[in-house]
Amino acid sequence: MNTRFEEKDGQYIMYFEGRLDTAAAAKTEQEMKVLHECEGHDIVLDCSQMEYISSSGLRLFLGLLKIAKSKGSKVTISGMNDSLKQVFAMTGFTHLFDFS
Amino acid sequence: MPQTNNNNIIQKAITLTNDVQEVPRLNAFVDEVCEEHGCDMETTMRMNLAIEEAVVNVIDYAYPPDTVGSVDIKVTTDDNHMEFVISDSGTPFDPTKKEDVDISLPVEERRIGGLGIHLVKQLMDKISYERKDGRNVLTLIKNK
Repeated sequence: MNTRFEEKDGQYIMYFEGRLDTAAAAKTEQEMKVLHECEGHDIVLDCSQMEYISSSGLRLFLGLLKIAKSKGSKVTISGMNDSLKQVFAMTGFTHLFDFS
Repeated sequence: MPQTNNNNIIQKAITLTNDVQEVPRLNAFVDEVCEEHGCDMETTMRMNLAIEEAVVNVIDYAYPPDTVGSVDIKVTTDDNHMEFVISDSGTPFDPTKKEDVDISLPVEERRIGGLGIHLVKQLMDKISYERKDGRNVLTLIKNK
């Protein structure tokens, strides 16, 4: 799993590429920490190149959403494919996040 | 469902150590099984997810911290279904006993844990656990 962070038009964007499985989760967690200082910024999680996510990854997304919400920031997931959206639906995550 | 002649029985096995860095090796194994079984990409991804979740539960909970232990995965597939048997010699641990996750809760009330076994239950058609000969034995079945 490779991530890339970008700040654009006041938004924090993180691009996810590859598989967010349990082996990748610890490194990805560290890389996502930059998103925690999100006061005044909405967050976009660009998942168009994400191929796979398991519960460790879902936990990271939920953890980020809790922090963002507490700081008044919106989190949008963009470009997620249908297979991954089904995993989100199975865990009730489709009604927690905004999708674009 | 009519039973075809079970001419296409495949049996494979792998042993992993209780380290999450083994997950890519598990993934390659499941990919191989699914390819031989003729699964499409969607099914392969779902099988990978269910098996990863079940095996990671063993890695996280079966053995005491800082103990090296192993997880055995045996697969049998035929024309009608795929059966994964995941076993270990760790402390008695029945992952099916974990209470169900409430997926309707708002974000503030959602707990971080329990998602793994929830996904296994969503993705597999049958899950059973037994403690046998000092081992945890978890059987997961996906019907065609």
